[in-house]
Amino acid sequence: MTPLFLAHGSAEFWSDQTVNGLTTGSIYALVALGYTMVYGILQLINFAHGEVFMVGAFAGYGVLVALGGEDISGVMVLVAIILALAAAGAASAVTAATIERVAYRPLRNAPRLAPLISAIGVSIFLSHLVDDGFLDGKSKFYPQIFPTGDLSAGPLSISYLQLFLIGSSLVMMAGLYWVVQRTRTGKAIRAVSESRENAALMGIDVDRMIVATFVLGAIMAGFGGVLYGLFLSSIRGSMGFLPGVKAFTAAVLGGIGSIPGAVVGGFFLGLTESVGRELLNEIPGVNLPNEWKDVVAFALLVVVLIFRPTGIFRQRETKRA
Amino acid sequence: MPERGKLGRAAIAAPIERLRARTWERLPDWTHPLIWFALCILVLVVPTFDDIWVRMFFLVGLYATLGLGLNVVVGMAGLLDLGYVAFFATGAYVVGILSAPDSPHYSAFFSYWYLLPMAVGIGALVGVLLGLPVLPLRGDYLAIVTLGFGEIIRILALNMSDQTNGSSGLFEIGRPDISYLHNLGLTGRSTVDNVQYFYVMIVIAAFAVWFVTSRLRDSRVGRAWEAIREDEDAARGMGINTTRYKLMAFSTGAAIGALGGAIYAPFIDFIAPNSFSLLVSINVLALVIIGGMGSTQGVVAGSLILIGVPELLQFSETADVLSKFDWVGQGVNQVIDGINAVTHLDLSTLPPAEKWGAKLALYRFIIFGALLVAIMVLRPSGLFPSRRRKMEFEHTPEHETAGPAGTA
Repeated sequence: MTPLFLAHGSAEFWSDQTVNGLTTGSIYALVALGYTMVYGILQLINFAHGEVFMVGAFAGYGVLVALGGEDISGVMVLVAIILALAAAGAASAVTAATIERVAYRPLRNAPRLAPLISAIGVSIFLSHLVDDGFLDGKSKFYPQIFPTGDLSAGPLSISYLQLFLIGSSLVMMAGLYWVVQRTRTGKAIRAVSESRENAALMGIDVDRMIVATFVLGAIMAGFGGVLYGLFLSSIRGSMGFLPGVKAFTAAVLGGIGSIPGAVVGGFFLGLTESVGRELLNEIPGVNLPNEWKDVVAFALLVVVLIFRPTGIFRQRETKRA
Repeated sequence: MPERGKLGRAAIAAPIERLRARTWERLPDWTHPLIWFALCILVLVVPTFDDIWVRMFFLVGLYATLGLGLNVVVGMAGLLDLGYVAFFATGAYVVGILSAPDSPHYSAFFSYWYLLPMAVGIGALVGVLLGLPVLPLRGDYLAIVTLGFGEIIRILALNMSDQTNGSSGLFEIGRPDISYLHNLGLTGRSTVDNVQYFYVMIVIAAFAVWFVTSRLRDSRVGRAWEAIREDEDAARGMGINTTRYKLMAFSTGAAIGALGGAIYAPFIDFIAPNSFSLLVSINVLALVIIGGMGSTQGVVAGSLILIGVPELLQFSETADVLSKFDWVGQGVNQVIDGINAVTHLDLSTLPPAEKWGAKLALYRFIIFGALLVAIMVLRPSGLFPSRRRKMEFEHTPEHETAGPAGTA
């Protein structure tokens, strides 16, 4: 089964790597959507988006613990996870709308550096508020309630949890795509990101649409936070940092401003970290253990910025200079 | 609607405006030399304080040096660098790898005085290598790439254990040999190995960096940076090679960061990847922005406030003073207990008063974060702004006669 050109690893190994890549990729994709939508409408990198994701993870954790934690079983597992997702989406949406109101809206016409710095301020504030203010630097752990077990066919095998993660994130992304493409609000959001002035002239409440954009992106990030918690268990205030930076990378990969681009970029980045890294290991003399996946992801970001700054989908010209 | 927003903000900003009346630029001109003089005296008498105080002022000096370096990048050229710790770590590791006895690359050949310029040079080189691919792009991308790079340097230091000893770190880093001065009878010691000597070293470094950066700012290069910061397209239109000048700013900042690291490593005597976390970058960025981008006194004030005060809060003397206020805490706790008894809110009570300082120091990043937002919204040019920077951020027409001088 092993392709001849791959010297190491069985077919099982490569299929595992692919499934792992798709799993982390689905979380990156959910978070990347928020970056890409906000960038599309405001040309702003929402540095606090990783913390919006973190808030979602904690809201979901709160719901799961309130419903009984490790004792949840049977059909209640599904109910509890749906409630956790709903709570996470709501908490993240409120957080993002508040951030927009407090830290970004007053700076809408300020020099470009100002909103960027206040975004960083929000990010530092939220992650340290949770870590130092509430948790004393300790982590919390998601209850492990998801049924364990694998679905396998030949060399392919995927755990129920990974299947749920990939499947549910695809459903959520399809939902977002429907909202943006088919509803009145979605149409208005697209109009504002096309041209703020013209949209205002057409009677669209620009400020409301900007909040709506933040909220939609935040709901996706909140969902992503719960999925992250279910998958990796350990959550903390600073947990949003790396996934946030990675998701931004994914958004750039796909072409920032493009919604399908963010999804493709997310999965592509996830696969690069697992399969791509292992493929590099096939080159004699190269040894990149799993800890190097962040380095691989960043190298990819820099390479894309140099050679194809518009990303895979080329939605919006990345302004040179 | 914008008018309503402006009015609201003016109402909040008014008390801050009054506070500003007492800050640097509104002080009568004759007080400026007096304040500088008082600062110089303070700098000179610090070595006679207790070690713990000297250590605190060393850290303030170190962060002021780093702040002056980042100020070139963020304040003068307007490039947001979120991974400044990368260069600090580069400087520290260059010195550490070549001078720690248990390092795989230990070499008795290099004395500290070879390593220091080497660290600065390698820092500048790393700055160029990192800046080259991203500087032609928009500033936002630079921010995110530097953020990632700051983290990558830590991961590299952690995982390249053949070179760096990984997480166990490097001990007994080579200290500066000053036997030449000692033989001349100028110094009491032949190596820089106590806080007082390191303090003197960082003061010299800070002044050197201040001199170089302030000369750069007033030079042709500095004016090019300013033009780029104000409007990159216009600057290019005027014939400025923007990529080259941005690269120059970036590598100047990088070299200064590496200088800071090269002094920090022998001082702390032990470096490990976890000493170079994102928090260092945040500290430096926060002190530059809160102090006032582009201004020297802002950086000094910023490092006194953001580095000095949290250190001060952790002193046992501070705890002794605070413990005298335990009755306040007990009073508040009685109120909290009362509320808890009635409402079942289960609010937590305050810790004993002597722990307040340490608690506050622990919360400093929460405070920094909130301050960054507040300063951007209410006072975007920082507490001690450089005049030109202020004009950029606040768009207030200044008198034509204000002139370009008098910014530092």
